[in-house]
Amino acid sequence: MKKMLSLVMALALILSCLCLPASAEVAYTQTLRVEVFDRSIAGLNIEDCWQLHYAQENFGDPNGIKIEFVPVSRWEEGDILTTQFSGKTAPDICVTYNGDLVNAAIADDGVKVLDDLIAEYGQNIKAFLGETLLAYGAQDPDGDGVKSQYTIPARRISVVNQGAFVRADWLAALGMEEPKTIEDLEKYLYAAKEANLGGDMTIPFSYAIFTSNPMFAMRHYINAFVDFSQVTEEDWFALKDNPEFLPGAQEMFKMLNKWYHDGILYENFAIDTDSTIGDTYMTMGNFGYFLQQYDQPWRTDKNYQSEMAKNVPGAEWIPVNCWANKYDGRTLHDNYDAAGLTVFIPYWVSDETAKAAIMYLDWMCQPENLFALQNGTEGINYEGLNENGLPVGAKPTEEVPDENKLHAGDVAFMSNGYFFGDDEKNAAYVAMSFPGYEENVAKSVLYAGSDAWTQISFTVPIEAATDYSATVITKQNELIAQVIACDPADFDAVWAEYTQAILDAGAEEVIAAYRQAYLDGNYRGTFPGTK
Amino acid sequence: MTTVKAPRKKGNWFKRDWRLYLMLLIPVIWYLLFCYKPMAGVMIAFQKYSLVKGMWGSKFVGWKNFEFVMKQRDFLPALVNTLKLNIMGLIVGFPVPVILAIMLNEIQSKGVKRVSQTLLYLPHFLSWIIIGGMMLKIFAPTTGVVNATLLKWGIIKQNIPFLTDGPTWQWTYTLIGVWQNMGWGTILYLSAITGINMELFEAAKIDGANKMQQIWHVTLPGIRSTIVVLLILNIGQMMNISFDRPYILGNTLVQDYCDVLSTYVYRTGITNAKFDRATAIGLFQSVVGFIMITAANFVTKKLGEDGIW
Repeated sequence: MKKMLSLVMALALILSCLCLPASAEVAYTQTLRVEVFDRSIAGLNIEDCWQLHYAQENFGDPNGIKIEFVPVSRWEEGDILTTQFSGKTAPDICVTYNGDLVNAAIADDGVKVLDDLIAEYGQNIKAFLGETLLAYGAQDPDGDGVKSQYTIPARRISVVNQGAFVRADWLAALGMEEPKTIEDLEKYLYAAKEANLGGDMTIPFSYAIFTSNPMFAMRHYINAFVDFSQVTEEDWFALKDNPEFLPGAQEMFKMLNKWYHDGILYENFAIDTDSTIGDTYMTMGNFGYFLQQYDQPWRTDKNYQSEMAKNVPGAEWIPVNCWANKYDGRTLHDNYDAAGLTVFIPYWVSDETAKAAIMYLDWMCQPENLFALQNGTEGINYEGLNENGLPVGAKPTEEVPDENKLHAGDVAFMSNGYFFGDDEKNAAYVAMSFPGYEENVAKSVLYAGSDAWTQISFTVPIEAATDYSATVITKQNELIAQVIACDPADFDAVWAEYTQAILDAGAEEVIAAYRQAYLDGNYRGTFPGTK
Repeated sequence: MTTVKAPRKKGNWFKRDWRLYLMLLIPVIWYLLFCYKPMAGVMIAFQKYSLVKGMWGSKFVGWKNFEFVMKQRDFLPALVNTLKLNIMGLIVGFPVPVILAIMLNEIQSKGVKRVSQTLLYLPHFLSWIIIGGMMLKIFAPTTGVVNATLLKWGIIKQNIPFLTDGPTWQWTYTLIGVWQNMGWGTILYLSAITGINMELFEAAKIDGANKMQQIWHVTLPGIRSTIVVLLILNIGQMMNISFDRPYILGNTLVQDYCDVLSTYVYRTGITNAKFDRATAIGLFQSVVGFIMITAANFVTKKLGEDGIW
């Protein structure tokens, strides 16, 4: 009996070994490992998802390449990629938003030069990105005047960034019009507090420090107080990360300080930075204003609008464009650079694999493949196409069967945002993707793009920024917390103390380095001033 | 007459106890692999470390990394806060498990004892992320449970700034730590108490000692060596501070009070991939820790106690 059993087991083992090669019909000459952001979407297994199968069947199999997706947590991608890079375990195609890491790797010859490969195999990449955008990935690390293509930037389809929102139901209750200026907004906030429109816990002005990027909201507010006739372009670029040193910033913070002490601004703004408590207020309808991404109220992952409307019938967030500059009336908005995340190939990847990588990216940039990777299958991921060829009736991820689940942007990373061939169609699709809120979304996009300037970036590694940025950000957080919460009588002293602390923490070096990079012409972005 | 000595073969000890040595091999390998091998990495503290060139190819820069981190504006406050928070934790937190262990030991009912022990251990298993969220809801101004209740009852007129005022925050931090760790800390003391000879208690009883006197004259001397060893080990840890606790409990309003070496390292060495600088601070911490633990051990021995070596 025992002998029988062992014989059976041995046979089973041999059979299972035989089965493995038998199941693979295509003989692959190489494996291509591709980084894919993982957002922990329930039911979506990135290593075995529909998009991978699609890429394997349509690109991998015909070319004898086995494609593997390497999931990397979206929220820790910079840290993980850094670790993988130092251990040489990073994928063959790396994608990241961490520009510092890429710049440092380029400076150390850690990134493959792609000029020849793109010239030979990247016609569709060139067509999709265009010469200007592709040139963003060219650098000259050794300073000999010859630029080489180290990275490939993804194309950002929509460049609008942030939007401000107020409560339409509160405006109606107060008999007020949509605020057009800061004074209008202030009147609305104080009236809402007076009338207790959100109940006992009425918090008219929602704000919490965004600790990893403290100037995200502040920059928008500060710009409304800056007399741009007094700012030079050079200063504007030098102060890229430090808008608190623009003339007028102090005045803006003084206003927030007043609002805080009058009970207008959210009391826990400095301690509830991850919205542990704030999200409850948001859903309970206690907030009267907030500023975030232009589509935040209607996003499916955190749908502030529908959650709030469940608790407060009739409650509605509408976009507002009220941060009008005190001197010239413009409502400045910063917009993203046209380049999205960065795609690169590490230096240790073989030439053969690098060729496969460029071929894969080239395949991804072909419109029909991009469409398939972003939208999935007709009848499963969406109902059908409308007269413009745009998919309609897109199903929410949780309603799609697991084997068809997909995340558009993370796999089709060459395109940051849905791409349908031209700007008009792309914009039409954005509004379509928030059914029921089309009008508000369209208005929000319009506002977020009004008086727009393009975010600044530098095309050379800025050593000082790598050294000091994290420390400076901490001090900026402190400045914001302290000048808003301090006794109004101490405001000027606190302001002086903490702005000095920011300079001492390394901002002085960073500002000087940015200034130099600007003077050398190594910058991108625009200046909204006149000088 | 000559005595005949049994011939002592070389390697005899090994033949006899090889199984024990084999067992010892496991922790030895563990130490070599995880504590000694990575020590080679310390050398990146003296390099301009390049991710691409690695440990063996990066440029040697001497003390430059140390100079850079120590000259930074935030270094000294972080160092002071680390020591301050650790000392506060030691003074307040060290006696608590001792007292608690003695109290637990005096509980007569087995059931009550077990339940209270489990309840006391429980916080130890909560992650700081969870505790951080809980503490925010408990100690926040106006809406936090404590402040809201006290305000409503009219006991206080103004919020107690548990989380928003620097010095008060340091006490909040310390006491939360004590709460989280006190139960877990009792384990060693309880086992030490079990090791005390019961006859000593009986003798003390016969001599007419009451409960307090028994504790003072029998229990405490019985666990004295355990207390001393733990104290020395704790002093050796004065320069080290966990990352998650100050990072999560801290906030921007108390930045000058909650910034410690670990959060400082995270900021200046990890987030921007400057591992050479992070290593430099780590090495600095280890050296100071080594000096402190040696000094504590020396002083203990001078006072007539057994040290840890």
